[in-house]
Amino acid sequence: MELSEEIRIKAPREVVYAGLNDPEVLKACIPGCEELTQTSENELEAKVVLKIGPVKARFGGQVTLDRSNAPGGFTLTGEGKGGAAGFAKGGAEVTLIEDGDETVLSYTAKAEVGGKIAQLGSRLIQGTAKKLSAKFFASFAEEMQASAVL
Amino acid sequence: MKDEVQTPEERTANLKGMGSARKRVEDVRFTQGKGNYVDDIKLDGMLFGDFVRSPYAHARVVSVNKEAALALPGVIAVLTAEDLAPLGLHWMPTLAGDKQMVLADGKVLFQGQEVAFVVAEDRYIAADAVELVEVEYDELPVVVDPFKALEPDAPVLREDIAGNMEGAHGPRKHNNHIFTWEQGDKEGTEAVLSEADVVAEEMVYYHRTHPCPLETCGSVASMDKVTGKLTLWGTFQAPHAVRTVASLISGIAEHNIRVISPDIGGGFGNKVGVYPGYVCSIVASIVTGKPVKWVEDRMENLMSTAFARDYWMQGKIAATKEGKITGLWCHTTADHGGFDACADPTKFPAGFMNICTGSYDIPVAYLAVDGVYTNKAPGGVAYRCSFRVTEAAYFIERMIEVLAIKLNMDAAELRRINFISKEQFPYQSALGWEYDSGDYHTAWDKAMKAVDYDGLRAEQAQRLEDFKAGKTRKLMGIGLTHFTEIVGAGPVKNCDILGLGMFDSCEIRIHPTGSAIARLGTISQGQGHATTFAQIIASEIGLPADDITLEEGDTDTAPYGLGTYGSRSTPVAGAATAMAARKIRAKAQMIAAYLLEVHDDDVEFDIDRFVVKGAPERFKSMKEIAFAAYNQAIPGLEPGLEAVSYYDPPNMTYPFGAYICVLDIDVDTGVSDIRSFYALDDCGTRINPMIIEGQVHGGLTEALAIAMGQEIAYDEIGNVKTGTLMDFFIPTAWETPNYQTDWTTTPSPHHPIGAKGVGESPNVGGVPCFSNAVHDAFRPFGLTQSHMPHDHWRVWKTAHDLGLHE
Repeated sequence: MELSEEIRIKAPREVVYAGLNDPEVLKACIPGCEELTQTSENELEAKVVLKIGPVKARFGGQVTLDRSNAPGGFTLTGEGKGGAAGFAKGGAEVTLIEDGDETVLSYTAKAEVGGKIAQLGSRLIQGTAKKLSAKFFASFAEEMQASAVL
Repeated sequence: MKDEVQTPEERTANLKGMGSARKRVEDVRFTQGKGNYVDDIKLDGMLFGDFVRSPYAHARVVSVNKEAALALPGVIAVLTAEDLAPLGLHWMPTLAGDKQMVLADGKVLFQGQEVAFVVAEDRYIAADAVELVEVEYDELPVVVDPFKALEPDAPVLREDIAGNMEGAHGPRKHNNHIFTWEQGDKEGTEAVLSEADVVAEEMVYYHRTHPCPLETCGSVASMDKVTGKLTLWGTFQAPHAVRTVASLISGIAEHNIRVISPDIGGGFGNKVGVYPGYVCSIVASIVTGKPVKWVEDRMENLMSTAFARDYWMQGKIAATKEGKITGLWCHTTADHGGFDACADPTKFPAGFMNICTGSYDIPVAYLAVDGVYTNKAPGGVAYRCSFRVTEAAYFIERMIEVLAIKLNMDAAELRRINFISKEQFPYQSALGWEYDSGDYHTAWDKAMKAVDYDGLRAEQAQRLEDFKAGKTRKLMGIGLTHFTEIVGAGPVKNCDILGLGMFDSCEIRIHPTGSAIARLGTISQGQGHATTFAQIIASEIGLPADDITLEEGDTDTAPYGLGTYGSRSTPVAGAATAMAARKIRAKAQMIAAYLLEVHDDDVEFDIDRFVVKGAPERFKSMKEIAFAAYNQAIPGLEPGLEAVSYYDPPNMTYPFGAYICVLDIDVDTGVSDIRSFYALDDCGTRINPMIIEGQVHGGLTEALAIAMGQEIAYDEIGNVKTGTLMDFFIPTAWETPNYQTDWTTTPSPHHPIGAKGVGESPNVGGVPCFSNAVHDAFRPFGLTQSHMPHDHWRVWKTAHDLGLHE
């Protein structure tokens, strides 16, 4: 499964970059996120409740960041396990481009999904993933714009 | 007497015997919702089991933590392989001579594999507890392609037999290889291929699909600790075999096991196999001392219980310039999944795939089949077919079409000139079968005439011109198939499963007032046995079918038999029924002769009575004879009127048929509109025409599903992509076309009533017929082979790749 999107955020690049690295901001924006803790400089642990079609499960997972491109972007890899519901793993590449006072955020993400959630068919998963990422970025843009104004 | 004024025709009609379109007696309860299925069984204190299944297709099981699940109120136990190992039940034998994990023993080999069995007070608690069992997996590389599985550096899937190069069916060539099965004359066939005028070559893939019966698999085990008796209700297509195998595996004496198959909501091969759920429900009942029910859900059914097909068939067919076939070569790569749980007679690891010479007189042929392990679910059952016959029929009927293209010949004519002729029967095929009977030319000519074949071809030619002229975007396809089935396994000398000979049985008891009960070793899953077998008895002994009760499925009462699959019930148990009835008739003749005060040879059977030869007004009805059998002292005869027959058939039976499908394909949407489907079946003597027609309709609809959309598809990491009915195609009335059925009658010469079996013919013949119709539509544009299922997307893609969207 592949996802890619480009969004424009009314905030400077440093603010956006900082926001993407702030566990509190991410926790507030990730749909269904119950816990998000930084375990080391480049590692995070998360607990997310996810509902796809009839399957609802709590996924626990790790995310590893590669910040060598900061603040022009970063890459991340991660995996999550949802017990009987299945598992997911993948990665994303995020780039941030300055455009005046605004930032253009683009990302491409690749994910492999397995287990019961995968069985529900790619049409459900793809649709749900798109919906969730749209929700995340909508909340994220809102947070960033709010903090840029402050 | 009242019946003295009845004509012989009226007396025959009263019996509702063979040839009568008698209504199904089963439907009285089914149509009122009064069937009694496994899930309807409710016992005092009954517990419920549910599986923790692997989300991974290939992984090591590092640990299983039961704590949280056991802490949930209402959870009684969580079983793992460690708990079953002391009983030796963590693995079980498969029907194919392999073994299969009951619960994951160190690793998992397919997505959905059983890892732990939760037992709880109700099924909701069990389902909740399944989610609380924490399993830690360590992922391993996944192999879903059988060709890649045989590459030198492929990961070893079955570590338990790694390095053991002697399998259940001979030598293994690779750690992921199961067997090679060879039939026919390799050198002779290769010689013919090298010298032939024409050789057509093609890879024909018959995709993986699933029988998907309406009722999923399940069982209820009840161990009575006081009597030591185990009663096991289950969705078993072969209850007696289950009893014997359960006894051999568990060590419980066979007389202490009672297996009951209640009403079964469709089997189609899915309920032949032995599944971990059966074993776990038994163990759980023994451990808890309470009855334990296990019933799988739809997703579990599709991803873990037996699949069907998944054969890659590489073919070569040789012919003269005029189209006379001179030889056939086939190499099949068979994907069996993680364990070889294929349901075939022991000596036939690829089933009856060697019927792949079909309806044609092919002088020399060679077949080799390689079985391969992959990270997919085990199975390989005969989904509404007799042991891989549908793969064989699809292969030869596609190869004939491919050859017709190569020869630039009409495919109907190519078939006609190659049919085995009526005079050649009994016919010895190049791959070792003796076809008992057939009359293919008569059936074919009747079919051609019925559909106005020449008219259809003319219409198709006009449509093609219109298409090329831009007047239409629809192409017309005409699908042809002439199939030969091989059913009724089978002669004990070469057919057994796990050493159990494939005879079958019938026991008939006539009651004093002239009604009867019959019990058989088979088990109906919707075939209507209670209707048709009573008709055989009615005609054989002259008692009305309505007065005959039929029972199957309880091993404590029914005689031993190998069950119902592979269209074997009528050919084997149907023959046993006729033979048992004839034993009764023979005794009835002696009783009649005594009552009429004549010699045994001076009376003869006449519909529903014995009459004195030459004096038909002197007779004794079967009802009178039945009463006398019990209540009159007859010198030299024991009281009573009952018989049992165990029938070991001398040969298989060979039903055949001619099918023609006409469809229109919209090249821009890929939608196929099936305009007509003509199905002529020859199943020998026809016992109940209405039931035959129902079987043909059902089989054709399953064929439509398989050919046009139904599949078990995996992605590259072994996820089942079609695990729900949203993605797994089951036709509804909306997609199902009208069928036109027809018949010829060529009785089997060795079957007591000449019957051959029909339940599976329409699936065997239907799949190639639908598929050939799709191929035929694209033939003018250069298509020789495209793989099933021909769903809208694939058909659109075919049109696109042929440049029809430019």
